[in-house]
Amino acid sequence: MSGGTVYFTEGPDAAPNYIFPMYSPQVCSTANNNQLEYMMYRPLYWYGNNYRPTIDYNYSIGQQPVFSDGNQTVTIKLNSWKWSDGETVTSRDLVFWMNVMKASPATEWCGYVPGYFPDNVKSYSAPDPHTFVLHFNKAYNPTWVTYSELSQLTPIPLAWDRTSLSQAAPTSDNGHLPDTTKAGAAAIYKFLDTEAKKLGSWTSSPLWRVVDGPFKLQNFTTTGEVTLVPNPDYSGSPKASISSLVELPFTSEAAIYNQMRAGGPSAITIVNLPSQYAPQVPTLVSEGYVDNKAASYSFNYFPLNFNNPKVGPIFRQPYFRQALQHLIDQAGWINAFLYHTAIPTYGPIPSAPPSSLVAAVPTGQNPFPFSVSAATQLLTANGWKVVPGGTSTCEKPGTGAGDCGAGISAGEALAFNIDYESGVVAVQDEMNDLAAQARKAGITINLTTHPFATVIGTAVACQPTQPTCKWQAENWGAGWIYGPSYLPTGEQLFYPGAVANYGSYSDPKATQLIQATITDPPSEEEQALVAYDHYIATQVPVVWGPTSIGTYAGDAGTLVAKNLGGYAANALGFMNPEDWYFTK
Amino acid sequence: MTGYIIRRLGQAIVVTIGVTMLTFMLLHLLPGSLARDVLGPRATQPEIAQFVHQNGLDKPIYTQYWLFLEKLIHGNLGYSYQFNRTVNSLLASDLPRDLVLGGASLILSLVIAIPVGVAQAVRRNGALDYAATGVSFLLYSMPQYAIALLLIQFLSISFHVFPAEAPQAASVTGMLSHPSALVLPVASLTLVTYAQFSRYMRSSAIDTLAQDYIRTARAKGLPERLVLWRHLLRNSLIAVVTLVGLSIPYIITGTLIIEQVFNFPGTGLEYFQAALRNDYEVMLGITVLVGVITVMGNLLADIGYAILDPRIRY
Repeated sequence: MSGGTVYFTEGPDAAPNYIFPMYSPQVCSTANNNQLEYMMYRPLYWYGNNYRPTIDYNYSIGQQPVFSDGNQTVTIKLNSWKWSDGETVTSRDLVFWMNVMKASPATEWCGYVPGYFPDNVKSYSAPDPHTFVLHFNKAYNPTWVTYSELSQLTPIPLAWDRTSLSQAAPTSDNGHLPDTTKAGAAAIYKFLDTEAKKLGSWTSSPLWRVVDGPFKLQNFTTTGEVTLVPNPDYSGSPKASISSLVELPFTSEAAIYNQMRAGGPSAITIVNLPSQYAPQVPTLVSEGYVDNKAASYSFNYFPLNFNNPKVGPIFRQPYFRQALQHLIDQAGWINAFLYHTAIPTYGPIPSAPPSSLVAAVPTGQNPFPFSVSAATQLLTANGWKVVPGGTSTCEKPGTGAGDCGAGISAGEALAFNIDYESGVVAVQDEMNDLAAQARKAGITINLTTHPFATVIGTAVACQPTQPTCKWQAENWGAGWIYGPSYLPTGEQLFYPGAVANYGSYSDPKATQLIQATITDPPSEEEQALVAYDHYIATQVPVVWGPTSIGTYAGDAGTLVAKNLGGYAANALGFMNPEDWYFTK
Repeated sequence: MTGYIIRRLGQAIVVTIGVTMLTFMLLHLLPGSLARDVLGPRATQPEIAQFVHQNGLDKPIYTQYWLFLEKLIHGNLGYSYQFNRTVNSLLASDLPRDLVLGGASLILSLVIAIPVGVAQAVRRNGALDYAATGVSFLLYSMPQYAIALLLIQFLSISFHVFPAEAPQAASVTGMLSHPSALVLPVASLTLVTYAQFSRYMRSSAIDTLAQDYIRTARAKGLPERLVLWRHLLRNSLIAVVTLVGLSIPYIITGTLIIEQVFNFPGTGLEYFQAALRNDYEVMLGITVLVGVITVMGNLLADIGYAILDPRIRY
């Protein structure tokens, strides 16, 4: 049946705070991207349907890309889509996106990796309104281009091609629109970025009203409640059947659970259940929910800041990172804190959802199983005077075998800070346990806690002299869900200079292995990924933690009201509410 | 009385200026940089320098304080860079909702606590007194969140009598259109406050009952109802009036736990999150507001004394 309102729960204290789909790492979150922007401003390609990390061309604006010129050129034909203001979605809208992206600060794009998109795009053009052409600086693996570069394209409307709201929105390309010059495009970025942060004006702004996705924003309250209604001019298929999608903000995990128990499926239609309530799933199922456990293409980790002037030299030592990984009791955490709603993580390539690429990568054994004694031995063998229950100090400074390592002075204490996401009980329990186990190995971990947005915003790649480099370890509790590059090739996370390489990890061998996953011919792709995954797993460039089996990090699963049809887990956490309908 | 009120208003202004000065200085001592927090970790040094200059942060602290006072006098509490909204607009959306929740619980707790406290005093060491004392101690010793969760468990989850959430409407009229959603959060706040007020009321009434004028009134043959109403209640209320005056700021920021449990984002939660996010101007604005309300609450309590006790003349 058509009509009805779907009530969807936002994460605790994680309401959307950005609406422009060209997002920086600070606002690169599922709350902004998957749960808001993508439903209104459709990316060129739509990924993850049918619980596969692949493209669904039926849901995409772009048709299958055609590679030519020895894989240096890609041509994309566009389907006939319309913007809600009546304009046609054309290749000019992709040129507009590219112009703005090229002109904006590189570090303001969540997916930026030096040397790759958009740096490796030699030129781009729109030979006709339905054709977009990209020329790369060299040949790349077409699969990688399709999943990791074309995924970073989103058509944006001409109505945004201006630098202030007082300017009239252009309706046609006269050849002299602001984005055609670099300075103009930079000014547009600045304008749109500023407007996107004005939460109070999202609903009234003429900018955000122009959409090409299946939904449009009807209301956004100051408390973070989002109301999306179907875009009547949506060109794709299927058209939305529900009358509205309301995303509800919550102040705590307890408030989510209480509301579910009290109101049931009529109060909350879809909930990503916090892991602490996993034991309650049978009760909730008996009250009218269906439990969907579908891990997204993600893995859990938290970064260490290799460039922190104080503890960076310690973090740069592989033996220290391996010792720290030995102190992560993944099995214990999964059992005690996550109620078996997570799986252990040993490396960067997810073991779910099913994918031909992932299936080729053996999950392997944990190279660093939980063991305080193993951690202690590693530290002792590398020049530390381990003081169980106290703070160990460097006894043998130097760079030789058995020494503490470069940049670590004699008597230096083994102590650092982890700042973690507040409001999530499981993350708090995990960090407390890690600090307790570390204490046994003579590592002092000081814990601080901040809201998700603060934690993820603090973790930035930096140079030791910069004031932003004071952070030591940041755990925002959500790890990494692959995007806007959807092939798990690692350049976004571990490539020197990449925006999402928050800890500034740099290892020539890792860089070489990542490059191989990008430029090797398709026939060697699996082998390259295996080599990359195994090397990274042993180097521990970030600290691995249990990965949720729910769609989003920290979820015990997605509970969906029994009377909601059409819901299917998306491998990348995208939302397809245009598929949903009420059965009664 | 008028002279007294004018004098107290003058004192209140001085105290308020002291509060703003102290708060302003303390917030400036916090680690971190407003420019960095506002512009983000990737801001360049020139951008930071420009922001610092544009916002007068490179001026001496007393000049900055003066500028802040100037804005305050014009009713401008500052700007939240985290929310891209003025602090005034944040408070304008949160405060009325908090006043409904906190105000309702304050009134309700007084309405219950005053007669119960008087009845306990009059029937001191009787069954009613023991029972009411037991209930008060029980409620007083329970953390607010425990009361809230118990109420939710029984009245929302087990018996579906009331919603587990406070009203989600942004406006007061919207909130009032869902009275059932107000019941549990108001009850959670009321039960704790009631316990406190009733203990004070009982104690004050016992003291008053021992006064000569009560004995005299009874000796004159005044009906017990009038003794209690005219002499006991009025004189016993003085202690509670002080408590009420001091409780007024609590209406605004004291509901943090209730806001968390009942999914009711209000000023308390706003302040807590501002502290976590280094949103200085929100912290400053709310602190100043609470300071002003505290001073005003005390002033109202003092005026209340004079109304209740004719012997008090200023």
